[in-house]
Amino acid sequence: MIGLSLTALLLLIAVTVFFFRPHSQPVERIAVGSAMGNDDTAGYRRADAPRSFHFPVDHGPHPEFRNEWWYLTGNLADASGRRFGYQLTLFRIALAATPPVADSAWRSHQMYMGHFALTDIAGGQHYGFERFSRGAVGLAGAQTTPFRVWLGDWELAGTDVNIFPLRLRAREGDIALDLTLNTTKPLVLQGDQGLSQKSAERGNASYYYSYTRLSTTGTIRLAERSFTVEGASWLDREWSTSALGPDQSGWDWFALQLDDGRDLMFYRLRRKDGTLDPHNAGTLVATDGSTRVLHWDEVDVQPLGSWTSPHTGDRYSAGWRLRIPTEHLDLTVTPTIADQEMRLTIHYWEGAVMVNGRAGDQAIHGQGYLEMTRYEPDTPIR
Amino acid sequence: MRIPVFWRALLRYPLWHPWQLGLTVLGIALGVAVVLAVDLANASARHSFELAMNRITGHATHRLVGGPQGIAETIYTQLRVERGFQLAAPVVTGYLPDAERPGQLLQILGIDPFAEAPFRDFAADLSGTDFDLRTLLLHPNAALLPEALGAELSLKRRDQRLTLHRAGILRGAAFEGLIVTDIATAQVLLDRPGRLSHIDLILPTGPTGERMAAELRAWLPADLRLEQPAERNRVTADLSAAFSLNLSAMSLLALMVGMFLIYNAISFSVVQRRPLLGILRALGISRSELFIGVLGEALLLGLAGTLLGGILGIWLGSGLVHLVTRAINDLYYVLSIRELTIEPWSLAKGVALGLLATLAAAWLPAREAADTPAGAVLSRAHLESRWRAALLRQVLTGLILLGVGGIIIIFHSLTAGFTGLFLLILGCALLTPPAMVGLVWLNQPLTARLGLLARMANRDVTRHLSRTGIAVAALMVAFSTAVGVGVMVDSFREGVSIWIEDLLNADLYVAPLSVADDSERSGVLAPTVLKALQDMPEIAAISTYRPIKIEFDHRPLTLIVTELAPASQAGYRLIAGEASTAWQQFQTGEAVLISEPLAYRNQLTVGDRIELPTEQGPHTWTIAGVFLDYGSEHGRILLHRSGYERYWHDPAISSVALFAAADTDLAHLRTALQQRLGVIQPLSIRSNRDIRGFTLEIFERTFTITSVLRLLAILVAVIGVFSALLALQLERAREFAMLRAMGMTVQEIGGLVSLQTGFMGLAAGLLALPTGLLLAAVLVFVINRRAFGWSLPFQLDPLLPLETLGLALVAALLAGLYPSWRMARTRPVDALRAE
Repeated sequence: MIGLSLTALLLLIAVTVFFFRPHSQPVERIAVGSAMGNDDTAGYRRADAPRSFHFPVDHGPHPEFRNEWWYLTGNLADASGRRFGYQLTLFRIALAATPPVADSAWRSHQMYMGHFALTDIAGGQHYGFERFSRGAVGLAGAQTTPFRVWLGDWELAGTDVNIFPLRLRAREGDIALDLTLNTTKPLVLQGDQGLSQKSAERGNASYYYSYTRLSTTGTIRLAERSFTVEGASWLDREWSTSALGPDQSGWDWFALQLDDGRDLMFYRLRRKDGTLDPHNAGTLVATDGSTRVLHWDEVDVQPLGSWTSPHTGDRYSAGWRLRIPTEHLDLTVTPTIADQEMRLTIHYWEGAVMVNGRAGDQAIHGQGYLEMTRYEPDTPIR
Repeated sequence: MRIPVFWRALLRYPLWHPWQLGLTVLGIALGVAVVLAVDLANASARHSFELAMNRITGHATHRLVGGPQGIAETIYTQLRVERGFQLAAPVVTGYLPDAERPGQLLQILGIDPFAEAPFRDFAADLSGTDFDLRTLLLHPNAALLPEALGAELSLKRRDQRLTLHRAGILRGAAFEGLIVTDIATAQVLLDRPGRLSHIDLILPTGPTGERMAAELRAWLPADLRLEQPAERNRVTADLSAAFSLNLSAMSLLALMVGMFLIYNAISFSVVQRRPLLGILRALGISRSELFIGVLGEALLLGLAGTLLGGILGIWLGSGLVHLVTRAINDLYYVLSIRELTIEPWSLAKGVALGLLATLAAAWLPAREAADTPAGAVLSRAHLESRWRAALLRQVLTGLILLGVGGIIIIFHSLTAGFTGLFLLILGCALLTPPAMVGLVWLNQPLTARLGLLARMANRDVTRHLSRTGIAVAALMVAFSTAVGVGVMVDSFREGVSIWIEDLLNADLYVAPLSVADDSERSGVLAPTVLKALQDMPEIAAISTYRPIKIEFDHRPLTLIVTELAPASQAGYRLIAGEASTAWQQFQTGEAVLISEPLAYRNQLTVGDRIELPTEQGPHTWTIAGVFLDYGSEHGRILLHRSGYERYWHDPAISSVALFAAADTDLAHLRTALQQRLGVIQPLSIRSNRDIRGFTLEIFERTFTITSVLRLLAILVAVIGVFSALLALQLERAREFAMLRAMGMTVQEIGGLVSLQTGFMGLAAGLLALPTGLLLAAVLVFVINRRAFGWSLPFQLDPLLPLETLGLALVAALLAGLYPSWRMARTRPVDALRAE
């Protein structure tokens, strides 16, 4: 998954903007594409060939790559059927290829950024938060044994020996999550045995694996109320040094869990000229965990209407139709609520979605998460 | 436009007498300038202080502070990671000297950019292109620098020089002298590995915030405190309140001198024109017209003088602000902003002073001129006789003022002290004209033998009492101020030097070379150095010291943790408590000795108990003695190390005093110590003479401002005596022409003028002596005691009275030169015809 392909530069801009503008002033919009244009990748390792993965080590950080993330999303509901969506993403971003002089415990070239969101579907509300920290003096970091990735009190923690059962805890103001996640399907290597090519240039790729369906139980606290919830989550792990090419302007990304037991991941890279990008790709994961790679020309993706954020004025597609003729799948993806825009230092749309459609002759339903970057002003949504 | 004859007649006079016009305006200008300058300097210091505090405090509502070593950085991590506290920002701050500009300290402010946004606004002044966060975070020598400091900056750290490179520009006057770095860089620069100066917090207001604060307090280790910076700033600002008050008092003295000068200048210009006013009255100008006319003219003069004084005051103030800043830096805390803030309020005060004093000064003579029948106005004799008739009333009023002043001084407050002081001076000023009459009377037998000229000169003074009385009173006030302040500074210096002589009786003092100039924190002597010192046969005895800052009664004060050699004990002069029992109790660690200012301020004495915050919560000690101390106006407490270690976990020792064994060559010992121990730790080894010199140097620096103000008062007085006497003599041109016509030679007239001005100068100088000594006594025994809490010896430099008399005389004689010279050049016929 592309997630939010934040580069070190982007983070720098983000922090700079953050640093500039204290308090609740509106945050400047940053063109994601231009921010990723002039990356200095010298000295970092690149995802330029398939590799063999080793677990649990690869659950931990890969500091020699510039970017990395632990990306969790999920759809949950309490016993009465009240539904929630959540996102917790912890990004690791290197500011330099080599560590700085170790003159103080605070000195570190590893930075962390966190995004945390909760969608209260019944309440029609979406809450999004962000954090930044350096990966030093225990404020934020990632480690393998025991598995732990954290930024302040936002934390993913495994047991001594394994990443699962994974405990997720995040709190911001009067909103808190405390969830336990367990595998129901084996790990999926995305792309070419875990190498996910994002644009033509060699090395513009990431190492990418997922747990597409994780059984999830726990509690959600919202204001004064507490909900005991269960449902399914999706973990994406990606690390890379560079991704998009200069001709790409944004993306739409789907992580869908169908109620026939299959899971579908597909990302669509948007090109500035409006043509389809041959690097679009996806994976269809069967109930038993077996996978099939979806090529760019196998999946037909069409936007359904547009939604303009009343807060930022940014435009996104209001829904999607995905057709995979080879699999006889015809799916409509609809946001559970329209406004799930992440209005953080960087603006994007990420939210819980419902899936309806047909698999052959059968009606099929599902749930999932959708991520979209905004459309440039005055460009058609396509 | 036609100007009414009346106005033309009034205004023509000053225009035809430019000398007098100029001197009047100068008198007003000087008065305004001195007051304004002191006020501006004071306000600027206060303003810089607020700026400095605000730029550090930012939007923080609370602050976590720790002991002498600050806070462990792990506390911050716990706060964020375990307690999920998001609105927290770590700060490492301290001062380092600028390598290029000696004496200039720069404040290092180490922050975490990721936590910074909600706290401080300096980020808002960074423009995107100038700011390189990556470099700031990763480069060991990167910093955000104020524009004025350029792209590179060299700092001094111990004996090293290190260069900081700019990773962003801090724009705006508020950032002068500030260097913002990443927290890692600040820890390295200031040599504080693992420590933070404090942690800033933003807590919500209302019950939620109070609940959070209570939870935090419950969670905090015993040696950390949760404070509100606003409170702390106020306390710190209070520290300098006494200093500020003293400065204000100086400026008030200047104001007083200034008012006398203005009064003298204006009343003289009115009194001098009584004949003209009489003629105008005879021509039918009404009383009220005349009154308004005189006041209006005075107002014009006042405006001109105030304007000139304003310019002069701002110029003078920009010089004074450096002195004030330096004194504050030496005494209290580091202020690095050294620009003059021109506060409208200060300007308003200056303007009000100039105009009101002018009007007040013109009011009485104008009233008097307007109320007097036309014929009588024309007669000088009428005025002078009225003046003489009023002498008794003046004496009575003067005595009443002295009495009331004396009574007010007894009230136990600083303001009462100052009020009383001013009443005393006013009383003395009122007694001056009667005293002059007395002096003239006393002088008569003497002058009788010196011939006609001397007799004339002597009697003339009382004959012109309406003019000479006020002039001499003004001079007297100016010179007595100079005497009073001079005696106070001398007394202070004497007290400090005796104290330091007693206190610093060890041979050598050893301390680690400190990295940063930071009063909050003192270095720690390496234990190996300590051990080596104890093992050296050349060293007979050692006293150890560890000063730490603690809070007592909402004031920060210094707790000196010490183990004293008997000789060091002898250096403390106990002013309460019997020495042998006091030191015995002190050795147990359960009794403390406190300094005089602390005892005075908190009304503590031997046998009282004092509760201090320790790392294990508050603990109470008995006071075994009170020692004389000029080291800190906030007070210091002496605690034996054994007692300290019971309640604090801090085995560190900051410095030691060494007593050499008999027959040891000190210079040799010093070199040996440096060679043997300097390799373990960079050390500063100083003799008692070095430290004494250093202390007195700081003392002198601190009192530079006082001396400058004293000099200003003298200058104002000299110019005052000059202008007053000059005007007086110029007015008498016709009288002298008459004398010339009657056969007196030019030399004789010159002699008469010189004798007269000399006598007046001498009178002012003589009368200034008792007044000055009274002033000094009040300053030394009342004002200083109440402001700082210490008692001073009364030290009178025998040269001071002579100096004062000399100055008064010289100024007076100088003032006589020009009229004599002019008289000599004018043909008497012209002078007579001019009328």
